[in-house]
Amino acid sequence: MLSRNFRLQKVGNLSWLQQNYNFANVAFFIDELIVLDVSRGARDREAFLAALTQISAGCFAPIAAGGGIDSVDYARQLLRSGADKVVLNSALFVQTDLVTEIAAEFGQQCVVGSVDLKQDGVGGYDVFIGNGARKLGVRAAEALAWHKAGSVGEIYLNCIDRDGTGQGFDFGTLDVLPGNWNIPVIMAGGVGNARHFAEGLANPCIDAVATAHLFNFVGDGLMKARHALLDEGMQLAEWPDIGAVNFPKRGVSAT
Amino acid sequence: MGGNHVIVDYGMGNLHSVVSALRYLGVDPLVSGDPAVVEGADVLVLPGVGSFRKAMGKLETSGLADAMREAVLAKKRKVIGICLGQQLMAEYGTEEGGAHGLGFFPGIVDRIPAPASGTLKVPHVGFNKVRFEAESRLFRGFDSPVDCYFVHSYRLEVQDRPGLSALCDYGGDFVAAYEHEHIFCAQFHPEKSQTNGLRILSNFLSV
Repeated sequence: MLSRNFRLQKVGNLSWLQQNYNFANVAFFIDELIVLDVSRGARDREAFLAALTQISAGCFAPIAAGGGIDSVDYARQLLRSGADKVVLNSALFVQTDLVTEIAAEFGQQCVVGSVDLKQDGVGGYDVFIGNGARKLGVRAAEALAWHKAGSVGEIYLNCIDRDGTGQGFDFGTLDVLPGNWNIPVIMAGGVGNARHFAEGLANPCIDAVATAHLFNFVGDGLMKARHALLDEGMQLAEWPDIGAVNFPKRGVSAT
Repeated sequence: MGGNHVIVDYGMGNLHSVVSALRYLGVDPLVSGDPAVVEGADVLVLPGVGSFRKAMGKLETSGLADAMREAVLAKKRKVIGICLGQQLMAEYGTEEGGAHGLGFFPGIVDRIPAPASGTLKVPHVGFNKVRFEAESRLFRGFDSPVDCYFVHSYRLEVQDRPGLSALCDYGGDFVAAYEHEHIFCAQFHPEKSQTNGLRILSNFLSV
């Protein structure tokens, strides 16, 4: 877990998450789960794949996974461990061939491009790569122009300045998208309450809103936020709560 | 709920989540890429994500395509195709120059039409409403259109064919799910559609 303007703040591993926040239940209030390996330094891929497998066993929503993807083979391992899509960040800018290869192998819809943006102090944004550690020496709009050609299926725009603050989205980050952008946008960085979600969803340039904040730090905030948005008449997918459905008993007991 | 449930593994897509969903529903499926196992299955699941042409190539060269035709068309084993799996069960797909499918039902799989207005994004990603026929076995227990999770750039065209189609509107109607006798399929991912999808899979298992 990594948040608060990308300063490493360890809030707990997977079992901590499951014990303290009833993840099995939380997972029924999301449209999609994004799981990122944000380890600094050497990554333990085996451990991450194992955690992904464990998470996906109880999550019946799409899962996008990423962090340190540097080969088609590792992308395949993620997909075989429960991910439906892979999230590429640094590769979008420094390994564009890999993005094309992964899209060719698994389909464009399988590739989520993740862009970390930080205000540059003069009204624009810098792109950061490598877990937000390294500034890219190219302007954001220029760096993203190449992706208009259709190598990614979705784009995940994260504002580093807002990440983990709970102050709401920085809609200025949308300006880095090249004109006539036609790829779904997932907005991230800054959600602290249901109102922030609503503001994001009301923006015609935004297709989905993401948070790590509510989910990590405010218990059942996500469930309440979803219900609040539905009560307001927002167009969200609906399904019965897991406690309200009964499936016929069959041979194997569910874990 | 006897019989062996086999998930066809031809190296494309997320088999893990289909396994998890079936296990959640109390079925312990076997994941196999062995044509003999597939041919001997009582219930088949054909998942998949990716290119139609590449997938058919893998199914044909491995012998899995013939094993599936034997199990489904000759032995009438119950089958569900999911996402690319639905597409592969059709007659023909136009992706990457085109290829013949398994041919379990008539129809062509073609790209979602390029957006004229500029507002429609392809691929079609996310939850969308699926309208079903009242007699549908897959959608038993639902009383209004069902939110299901889609992620695809190609879709099966609506046409007259025996059986029941459920439809989704994304730049025009396409076949979101189909059922005829022992053959079932869904363009959406039931294993990724929260409790809606679990119920649809449970309905399939119960047929």
